[in-house]
Amino acid sequence: MKQFLLKMWSHCVRLTTRWPSIASIVPFIPVVAAWWIVTELQIFPRAFLPGPAEVVRSFGALVYMGILPAYLQDSIVRLAVGAFWGVALGIPLGILVGLNQRARTALWPLLLFFQAIGDIAWLPILVIWFGYGLTTITVVIVYTVIFPVVLNTVLGVRSIPITLHRAAQSLGASRIRMLWEVVLPGALPNIVTGLRNGLGYGWRALIATEIIVGTSGIGFLMFDARRSGSVVEILLGMIILGILWYIVDSWILAPIERATGQRWGLVTR
Amino acid sequence: MGAGDAMKDLTIRNLSKTYFDPYAGTNVTAVHDVSLKVEQGEFVCIVGPSGCGKTTILNMIAGFIPHTGGEILVGGRPVKGPGPDRGVVFQSFALFPWRTVLENVAFGPKMRGIRKVEREKIAHEYLALAKLTEAAGRYPAELSGGMQQRVGVVRALANEPDVLLMDEPFASVDAQTRMTLQEELTRIWQEKRSTVIFITHDVPEAVFLANRVVALSKGRVLEEIAVDLPRPRSWDALNDDARFKELSGRVLQLVRSA
Repeated sequence: MKQFLLKMWSHCVRLTTRWPSIASIVPFIPVVAAWWIVTELQIFPRAFLPGPAEVVRSFGALVYMGILPAYLQDSIVRLAVGAFWGVALGIPLGILVGLNQRARTALWPLLLFFQAIGDIAWLPILVIWFGYGLTTITVVIVYTVIFPVVLNTVLGVRSIPITLHRAAQSLGASRIRMLWEVVLPGALPNIVTGLRNGLGYGWRALIATEIIVGTSGIGFLMFDARRSGSVVEILLGMIILGILWYIVDSWILAPIERATGQRWGLVTR
Repeated sequence: MGAGDAMKDLTIRNLSKTYFDPYAGTNVTAVHDVSLKVEQGEFVCIVGPSGCGKTTILNMIAGFIPHTGGEILVGGRPVKGPGPDRGVVFQSFALFPWRTVLENVAFGPKMRGIRKVEREKIAHEYLALAKLTEAAGRYPAELSGGMQQRVGVVRALANEPDVLLMDEPFASVDAQTRMTLQEELTRIWQEKRSTVIFITHDVPEAVFLANRVVALSKGRVLEEIAVDLPRPRSWDALNDDARFKELSGRVLQLVRSA
């Protein structure tokens, strides 16, 4: 038995060094296997816990009908639009608060106060103001993304050593150029962290918002499936959420981190 | 340097710095009535123990902190804040981690609006001066401390400042590397004839590098000692040199007795 396990392990190591992307799939194999075994043993009724095969079949059917691609696109576009505005407003605000003592005194308490009123806590009043539509969803996403981005940007700006400011000044950099040459790159590793947190929270807020006010999207798909009692589609929705986040993180955020903070030796690998 | 060039000298008259210590609730005088004249092309070391006010003096010359009394003139113009006429080399190197070695050295010329091709040519020249050509494309974090500080020195020089201010630049590298860096600095200085103010607590270092050593204690100038050792200087030659030992001994006695 021990021999067999060791052999499997060495196979595994050899395979993942040759194709690194496989390494990220390997941890899911026992999870899916356990799921499959539990459903095959019929511990729970099939209608409550369908197996992997049924979920894959449901995936095929929803893709074939065009529902899943359309919903997926809706969700991703909403997150992208919300994230764009969250970042476009959050980074300048964070730099202002980080650099300016007066702005910090004035805005910091407000930031902490409004951060505490969680994204979804705004939904009741937003629905009254903007109705069940894209505006409400966008506001919630922007609101969710902006706080981690602002707070981390402030942290990043304030963590830049004063000697770097001084070095740039005595090499002739003007205040405006300092922003681009010192403040922004110096804060970038923290900004990426803020973005990662913001997108994570935003993604969750999006699903919650779609469940409540949506007429399309992955969150809506899952809630609609509950109405018709389709556990398969609910499970499918959950799996898609996980996969999508994995893709965003490993294809977009991680490469940015590798190219900036890690390359510059500002964050440990 | 032609006769038409502006003088690249430094004049400090009755400089003082007093600040309020909120913890003690009193005014503290860190620098007391310091006067100093550094001629163009001179290498002056200010030496003294920790807390004697030497870094405060340098920060005031650099314009990083305001002075509370007296005046500082660089090339005849009073200092008001940091500026490219005074290049600074920091103890912590202060290289931009997101810029390659080449881009770090080209930073000053870039701020002056010099075109990319031109400023990279300048940067390459200075990198060659410090034997850093190989490292041009690397990031500071990939270099040893000694190499990082070489970059720090040529980055300041590449901007052709009137005065070069060095704040214990070799204090955070190992002893062997420090000796090499000291020798290289004297070589580069002889080539460029920059006006240099060098802050250190290391007496032999001060005597090795300087034309003139200013001994400082408790915010006051104790004495100025001219160093007439021949150049080029090397540690191999000076280690057993009687004159070097005599000068070092005198400065050390001054600094310790105060």
